[in-house]
Amino acid sequence: MTAQDHSATGPARAEAGTGRHKLGRRVLPYAMLSPAVIVTLAIVFFPMLQTAWMSLHEYVLFRPDDFTFIGFENFVTAFNDEVFWISLWHTIIWIGITIPAQVLLGLVTALLLNQEFPWRPVARALIIIPWALPSVVIALMWVWIYDSNYGVLNDFLLRLGLIEQAVPWLANPDTALGAIILTLTWQGFPFFAVMILAGLQSIPKSYYEAASLDGASTWQQFRYITLPGISGVLVTSVLLRTIWVANSFDVIFVMTGGGPGYATYTLPLYAFVKARTNLDFGYGSALAVLFTMLLMVIVLLYLRRTGKAVE
Amino acid sequence: MRQKTLGLAASLLALTAGMASAESTVRFWYHFDNADNPMDELVSTFEEQNPEITVEAENIPWNSYYDNLYTSIIGGNAPDAAMVKMFAQPRLIEMGALEPIGDRIDSWEGKDDLQDNLLELTVAEDGSSYYLPVQYVVLYMYYRPDMFEELGLEVPQTCEEFREAANALTRDTDDDGQTDVYGFGFRGGKGGHDHWASFTLGREGADLTDNIESEAAVAGTQFVVDLFREDGVFPPSAPNDGFQETIGAFKAGKTAMTIHHIGSANGMVEALGDKVSAAPVPECGGGRWTAYGDESTAVMSSAEDKDAAWKWISFLSEAGNNALFNEATGQLPVTKTDRDEWSLHPKRFVEATAESLPFANLLPNRPETSDFVNTVWPVAMQRALTGEITAEEMNAEIAELYSE
Repeated sequence: MTAQDHSATGPARAEAGTGRHKLGRRVLPYAMLSPAVIVTLAIVFFPMLQTAWMSLHEYVLFRPDDFTFIGFENFVTAFNDEVFWISLWHTIIWIGITIPAQVLLGLVTALLLNQEFPWRPVARALIIIPWALPSVVIALMWVWIYDSNYGVLNDFLLRLGLIEQAVPWLANPDTALGAIILTLTWQGFPFFAVMILAGLQSIPKSYYEAASLDGASTWQQFRYITLPGISGVLVTSVLLRTIWVANSFDVIFVMTGGGPGYATYTLPLYAFVKARTNLDFGYGSALAVLFTMLLMVIVLLYLRRTGKAVE
Repeated sequence: MRQKTLGLAASLLALTAGMASAESTVRFWYHFDNADNPMDELVSTFEEQNPEITVEAENIPWNSYYDNLYTSIIGGNAPDAAMVKMFAQPRLIEMGALEPIGDRIDSWEGKDDLQDNLLELTVAEDGSSYYLPVQYVVLYMYYRPDMFEELGLEVPQTCEEFREAANALTRDTDDDGQTDVYGFGFRGGKGGHDHWASFTLGREGADLTDNIESEAAVAGTQFVVDLFREDGVFPPSAPNDGFQETIGAFKAGKTAMTIHHIGSANGMVEALGDKVSAAPVPECGGGRWTAYGDESTAVMSSAEDKDAAWKWISFLSEAGNNALFNEATGQLPVTKTDRDEWSLHPKRFVEATAESLPFANLLPNRPETSDFVNTVWPVAMQRALTGEITAEEMNAEIAELYSE
């Protein structure tokens, strides 16, 4: 700005200066954005395209020279693959239970933390711990909690007389997935608690005062003031969390590796095992592409519905 | 702190100095579980003897060792030499990743000191040699002599005796209604195929690649399933248990028998003293089968300086160096000289290893074996143990893999 003021002595020069300035203003945003965009293109979009391309080929890593185009055969194989359907079903259960459980627990926690009580800052800091711990640490910790020989959970339930024999939570196909879902719920609810708490604090107190003067019950206040007040935050955080939970398999991988049998296989885990362990990159990519498309459909449906509700 | 920094600076200087004068570098991948890693000592001894070569030895975690190795080969960033097992050999050959070293072995002075038979065991299907043995183990059965004595039991020689003993050993020792000791610690997770194989593949008429669906082979799988589902002699967590869990449970006195090799003997003695001993695995259905645990080194075909890489790996299989190497892994040296002077393990475990050698086997040298070990066996075994599929169905899945 100042440089231009000094250099602009004649009217013609001033015009040229503004022209250059305008051009600069038009180019500058692109110039500033391009490093980020180029990096994103290189490390996200390029591998994505490569995955899509690989999914149309028979490509097994230990036969690197054999890269045959086979069209949609990998996808047909997936639809006829029993394990694909088992994994898909587990993924639906995985998302369908984890997210609502995290939201509910997060909401209750946020409402509690929004009350006045001594040591509130400490409680708020403590609540974030599960979210701040690395997934691997959480997974290993819960493996020990669930252990059938030394686990604290079995010990607790035995002492209370709720079970007669120690239950191998992670080794039993009926309980393994549920046990991991509980772990992930515990890990993820602080995220919702913190987000919702932020939303709650942005609601002016006067709304509640006015409502109570008009004789609104606590439930009515919650339904007509609190919920609309946090809906924006809620929609965004549910969307983010759905994508994260859907894609996350580190906790499952550490806790059971997908076992026993296929009892805790989800689609991302199955794609990983196929590609990284069996080195079948063609089929693994096809699974990943299928899962991405399914997730995109869910996200679009969700945004369309909730977008309207929020407006 | 200051001293540490100085030391670091000094070693950095030494490193750069070494790099400046070295004519070639050997990147070597290996996997050691043991925290006392003698690799630095081996490397510095080697570099003193061969000042023109620098060795960069990298310890890769075992769980993803082969995933990393295969991907590095494809990515064009493979090490120059690596520790390798036989089951991976067909795949590595198929990828064109291995350098034939038969001629180098023949002209190597350490060849005569290698124990008999080891070079024959590691020869490839095409008749060439790609591997140089560096350590070996044989799987046998660990048991608790004190518990056997308390119950008046003999060490089981057959599968039938084994089952009886396992049932007797599974008991509630403090009368709280909970089972405190289980007869056998079965490894149902990845790597447990050796346990299953000992009960299955020794049977007459059972073979992993040719007739795994035979009556005898299915009887073997059924035997394992029955031990868990009918008799309850494995801990309930058996379907997911891996190395840490099975060995940990035995050390803690939760199980009375398990199968592993001499690599865990010293840890067991540390935990249990005289209350642990070893014997060959029982005879099942007319034959015995146990796993030969091999470990070799190989020069990769992509190595820039293959002579340097060979010098380094042959150095590891020479008397003295090989002993030091095996002190870290807890396995057995491949040289005759080191074997004769070996004193690292209590005698009873060395003897159990020697007694097991006559019926020790490698898994079939075929590309499918990697998938058998990593996914097909663990998934099928876990499903059979939890009752989702039958023994016949499990063996049929294995047969399908090998018939592809």
